[in-house]
Amino acid sequence: MKTGIKTVLFAALAVIGFFVPILLGASGAVYAACVLIAIFAVMSYGLDIVVSDLGEVSLAHTVFFAVGAYTTALLSASAGIGPVLSLAGAILMVLLVAAALGFVTLQLREFVFSLVTYAVAVVAATIAQNWDFLGGSDGLRGIPAFELSWLGFTARNDQELWPIAYLLLLVAIYLVSAFRRSKLGQAAMMVHLNQRLAVTSGVDPQRVRLQVFMVSAPITASAGWLYSYQRAYISADVLETYFLILMLTAVVVMGRRLLLGPLLGVALIQVQEKFFSFGGYVDKIILGSVLILTLAFLPNGLFGVVAPLRNLFTRRTTPVGKTIPERS
Amino acid sequence: MNFTQQLVNGIVLGHAYALIAIGWTVLLGVARLVNFGHGQMYMLGAFVTWYGVSRLELPYFVAIPLAMLAGVAVGYVMQRVMLQLTLKQDLVSIMIVTLGFGYVLHGAAALFFGSTGQILETPFSTKDIYWGDLWFTYQDIAIVIAAILFFAALKYVIDRTRIGRLARMVAEDPQLAQLAGVNVRRVYLGVFAFEGAAVALAAALVAPRTPILTSMGFDEVIITFVVVVLGGIGSVTGSYVAGLALGLFTAFFGAFVSPAYATAAAFAVLIAVLVIRPGGLAVSPGGRRA
Repeated sequence: MKTGIKTVLFAALAVIGFFVPILLGASGAVYAACVLIAIFAVMSYGLDIVVSDLGEVSLAHTVFFAVGAYTTALLSASAGIGPVLSLAGAILMVLLVAAALGFVTLQLREFVFSLVTYAVAVVAATIAQNWDFLGGSDGLRGIPAFELSWLGFTARNDQELWPIAYLLLLVAIYLVSAFRRSKLGQAAMMVHLNQRLAVTSGVDPQRVRLQVFMVSAPITASAGWLYSYQRAYISADVLETYFLILMLTAVVVMGRRLLLGPLLGVALIQVQEKFFSFGGYVDKIILGSVLILTLAFLPNGLFGVVAPLRNLFTRRTTPVGKTIPERS
Repeated sequence: MNFTQQLVNGIVLGHAYALIAIGWTVLLGVARLVNFGHGQMYMLGAFVTWYGVSRLELPYFVAIPLAMLAGVAVGYVMQRVMLQLTLKQDLVSIMIVTLGFGYVLHGAAALFFGSTGQILETPFSTKDIYWGDLWFTYQDIAIVIAAILFFAALKYVIDRTRIGRLARMVAEDPQLAQLAGVNVRRVYLGVFAFEGAAVALAAALVAPRTPILTSMGFDEVIITFVVVVLGGIGSVTGSYVAGLALGLFTAFFGAFVSPAYATAAAFAVLIAVLVIRPGGLAVSPGGRRA
């Protein structure tokens, strides 16, 4: 497809996307689900570029999510700071955390990297539960409504928060697609697929990894930022394994390196949990099983199953087989 | 005296940690595989033992093999599902799949056993021993003895027997092992079944020390990580020493600084080691350090 048509198509899709809650009946439950889908999709996009492009499994992204959420909660509830500055604060904070984590894990690869990032997530959970500054096991309450006073905009419920959530989602998707086209994105792929080639081409793998981390963390943290306004209170449960499994499943279920993959993955999971739930424990089993089965049996995700069908409908530009030479 | 009491606690805790980590040590050192569902398998082992003892009213010595059998079944199913990934040595996917299995086990266990905390009581855990000022239970003694016996037996099997050699050969070079006529799949399945049994045994012995919860797998696995990494990934003797050292560290840290942050402190030790000697942690297949 030509780039021009593609841009128009994406723009049209972006406009239609905004009206999805209205098309689905505009009820409170629909708006609530859509806002959560947008937030969790943004959270997953952060992890997406680390898993799909860099090829490392970071299990510490729940920490980035939590850093975003807690920073926002502290800034807005205790210090009375508005959403724009709390977003800036959350991003600044998560960059510090990501830099520290990236620095420590710079030398580590594969499972040792994952192991350490997993341990970071567990330790962060114990700290959040025990540290009074973060509200301990009670969490932080009293996060004010999302209010941009200079625009006269206040979001008191999910319906009013939807434009913000949707905008955040579009920005995240744009960032991921821009990342994939950027030099850094291509360098990350090279490090992922062939580290030796990357090194001989003058790419420093450790630098690339650190940079990808620094791009990825703020995306996930900004989801935490909006989540704390949506929930109005934050506790240590933002560090639960649920978010980790949700992110990982969303990233792989549709197929890796598909721009809309994480969004569709999150939507699929959230619709099941919100509208076709079998109770918390069964939902856990379902979500975990989807993750297992996708990786074990569908290496290219659900899209990998559907994609070959597309070939049936594309017109061949060149004839199949050899052409019969004309007699002279 | 408090110091000696903590020393005893640390030694018991250390053997418990080593025992819990044994499955991972073999998995990683001998077969170069990982299992992020280890903590949940520990939880399952504890709950199956509890179910056997308090609901089915089985003797403790019957409940232990029952838990181990459940562990073998889970380990086997896990490896069976991801066998293709294992044969491809796709560690990234294996990690995520095992994490997913842990999550499923957590959901299934909460569904079946309920989400309230339970106490696993055994004939040993209720009998106290007072030795001067020191206090411990027969369960503690059982843990120490079981850990020492298990490690000795494991060391012997891996270094001296045919099974150990086969497993190490597969870890060293799966393709070559296959060419030499080794049934690689069976070795992988066997190693994972062993991991399941080992962690279930550890759970049946160690879990009576603390209340058990279906959600405990999440942080339980950290200690195993630390033991395995500090012990020089995959080394059997190293794991034993690292487990013991970590047990002593946790006991003293918990007693003199803060029990709530004991896990965090253990993790800080891990980070310190990783930063000080990052290059020294490369995996050497076959469980032998280069």
